[in-house]
Amino acid sequence: MTIFRERPAREATTEAAATTAAREVGSRITLKDLKVGEVAHIVDFLVENDAMKKIEAMGLRRGKKITIMQKLGRGIVVKTSNSRIVITSDVARNIEVK
Amino acid sequence: MTRTIKVALAGNPNVGKTTLLNHAAKTNLKVGNWAGVTVEKREGFLSYNGFDIHFIDLPGIYTLEPISEDEWIAYNFISEEKPDVIVDVIETTNAERDLLLTTELLELERPMIIALNMSDEAKKLGIQVDSIHTGELLDIPVIKTNGRNGDGVKELLDAIVASAEAHRPPKTVRYSEQVEQALGSLEKRNHDGKMDKRALLKMLIEGNGRNEEKASLEKFFRKDINSIIKDERYAFAHGFYNESFKRRKPTARDLTDRIDKVLLHPILGFFIFLLVMFLLFKISFDFSTPFMNWTQGLIDNFFSPLVLSLLSDIGAGKWLPQFFSQAIVGGVGFVITFVPLIGMIYFLIALLEMSGYMPRIAFIMDRFMHRLGLHGKGMIPLLLGFGCNVPAVMATRTLENKRDKLLVMAMIPFMSCPARLVVFSFFAVMFFVHPAMVIFSLYLLGIAIGLLTAFFLRKTAYRGRLSHFVMELPPYRVPRLRTVLQIAWVQVKSFMYRAGTVIFAASVVIWVLLNTPPNLKSQSDSAAAYVGKAITPVLQPIGIKDWRISTSLIPAFLAREIVLSSMGTIYSVDVQKKNTEFHFLPALEVQMKGFASATKESFMSLLTPSIQTLQADEGDQGLRSVIRSSFTPASALSFMIFLLLYTSCLATVAVMAREGGKKFAFLFLAYSFVMAWGVAFVVYQVGSLL
Repeated sequence: MTIFRERPAREATTEAAATTAAREVGSRITLKDLKVGEVAHIVDFLVENDAMKKIEAMGLRRGKKITIMQKLGRGIVVKTSNSRIVITSDVARNIEVK
Repeated sequence: MTRTIKVALAGNPNVGKTTLLNHAAKTNLKVGNWAGVTVEKREGFLSYNGFDIHFIDLPGIYTLEPISEDEWIAYNFISEEKPDVIVDVIETTNAERDLLLTTELLELERPMIIALNMSDEAKKLGIQVDSIHTGELLDIPVIKTNGRNGDGVKELLDAIVASAEAHRPPKTVRYSEQVEQALGSLEKRNHDGKMDKRALLKMLIEGNGRNEEKASLEKFFRKDINSIIKDERYAFAHGFYNESFKRRKPTARDLTDRIDKVLLHPILGFFIFLLVMFLLFKISFDFSTPFMNWTQGLIDNFFSPLVLSLLSDIGAGKWLPQFFSQAIVGGVGFVITFVPLIGMIYFLIALLEMSGYMPRIAFIMDRFMHRLGLHGKGMIPLLLGFGCNVPAVMATRTLENKRDKLLVMAMIPFMSCPARLVVFSFFAVMFFVHPAMVIFSLYLLGIAIGLLTAFFLRKTAYRGRLSHFVMELPPYRVPRLRTVLQIAWVQVKSFMYRAGTVIFAASVVIWVLLNTPPNLKSQSDSAAAYVGKAITPVLQPIGIKDWRISTSLIPAFLAREIVLSSMGTIYSVDVQKKNTEFHFLPALEVQMKGFASATKESFMSLLTPSIQTLQADEGDQGLRSVIRSSFTPASALSFMIFLLLYTSCLATVAVMAREGGKKFAFLFLAYSFVMAWGVAFVVYQVGSLL
């Protein structure tokens, strides 16, 4: 789903700010774009909010190697070290990977 | 006098704190709530080497930064209640992640112990840790533990006692040169006495008044102060991890990944989930039904006659025996018969939870749920609702967002529970050719109304985007039977406590109403009958024209199946007048034999493929003929629908008020009444035309 890139920014909510941030990165790859089985490294977090703080504390940190274990609907299972974390695509699109 | 040592168990979720606590405190556990919030509080008590150790199991958290409710609780507890010792439980296999919390705990500079839990799993995955070296780095005891078999628990207890006696803080955490300098100069300016590292950092971040330190740090690192501190903590945790933990190549492939390939498979996973649900229902219903019947028999044929014969021996008039058999046996006794079912449900839920499958259900179902505007995690409470609404409402705690939580809570009471099934099967068999179809349709109707309610709420009170979700999937583990039994037992205990308090009080009130004014000739003159007659006009349009039926609906508020017994009483039918002769020993023998055959029946029922309990039974013949004359098929159906939807039982309302607030519970009560009336009205009016 890449519709959000064309959609005009709404009010200055965090939601809209996130959308803008995602649009600005343009060609950058986010965690949301990865397919099941792909391995990548986390480069950066594109927004700063409580959800990001939480996933960082849960072990998804800059420079960490991640593997996409499964994708279902909006849910993505990401494995890093020995922990498996489910995040939804609205969170995943704000995590830049390479 | 023995000294009490207050120990806080802190750690990330799923690191095995609870199992460790169960090992240390055995059965001496208590579940309650943290004051003012609905997060579960577990405590354990034990005497050890002349000390009373009081464990407080803090909610599982990833960081001490108070973002969520859980983190607030843990943070407040540690900073306000000042436990004597903090035990930081680390899942050795995930130590790199867990050490962030450890770093934050160390900043508090309070006596602390690290428990490296799941050391057996770590070994398998090729993770080695030198606990002595780690302990020396921080100057605190580091103990390897294993929640599965209790290894290391004794050493942990010894360390707790030694730590509390020595009262020695750990080595101070050292951050980078620049940050340490800033903290040093802040401390110099501060004259409030010695502060711990965390308090100093807080001062630096908040920067009350002039704070050149903050400004110069932000300039130096070109980052805002929160990011600086966060990165410093991560750096410390990371360095500490590299210093103490060694990873070799794993010896075996990760079993959890292989199981997940199947259980989280987009198609296969869904069908396995359905199978697991089917088994959950089958086992909890079929296995407990014989025991429920036995419990009821034990109360009706043993305890009740025993007490009655004792009462008549001491010459206790007419009033006391009546109170006993109607209020205590009828009200509290009835609820107690549900203990086997509730215990079984809790047992299976604990089993699913400890095995690690539970959060995976949320993941699998979110794909369907989120299209309906519901959170995947909401699936678990809704499923529990079919077993009993009370634990289902409590299970909504796993939903972090209040809106998602209330939404699911408003759906739960429409999930039909076994108490309603008892009444459905009684009426359906009597008035319909295909009772099973009628019962099944009622279940579906409940689900439909639940979804409609959610839809309605999403469009009005609970608008807005569905919240994102972030959740950990713990590794699969084989649960220990003893731990699962302990958890189930603690829950059963608190259920029985409720039966003895709230439900007892309500039973007394209703009994008094049924027997006021004193020395009634018939119950049609009682206060309860008066109330019943008063509400009859309201119920007339849905086909309930007899005051005796509307009166029987009042005590049904205690528990739905009471409708049958109270109809029996009001219609003055001898529902179960047994011979008054009571002999203790033969009666006891009958009960023991009954228990043996109930056990046999339970296990046998597991061998059949379908759910036995759902097959309607014959029931009581005496009451049947009287009721048959008071109902038509249309009014019977409307009555069942009303009973399915109207209000909830007292226990559910009580727990809803606790979890969602009194206002929410009462609004829901009113809403469900209107809904029940409306649907029953349509069904009755249409049905009468046919």
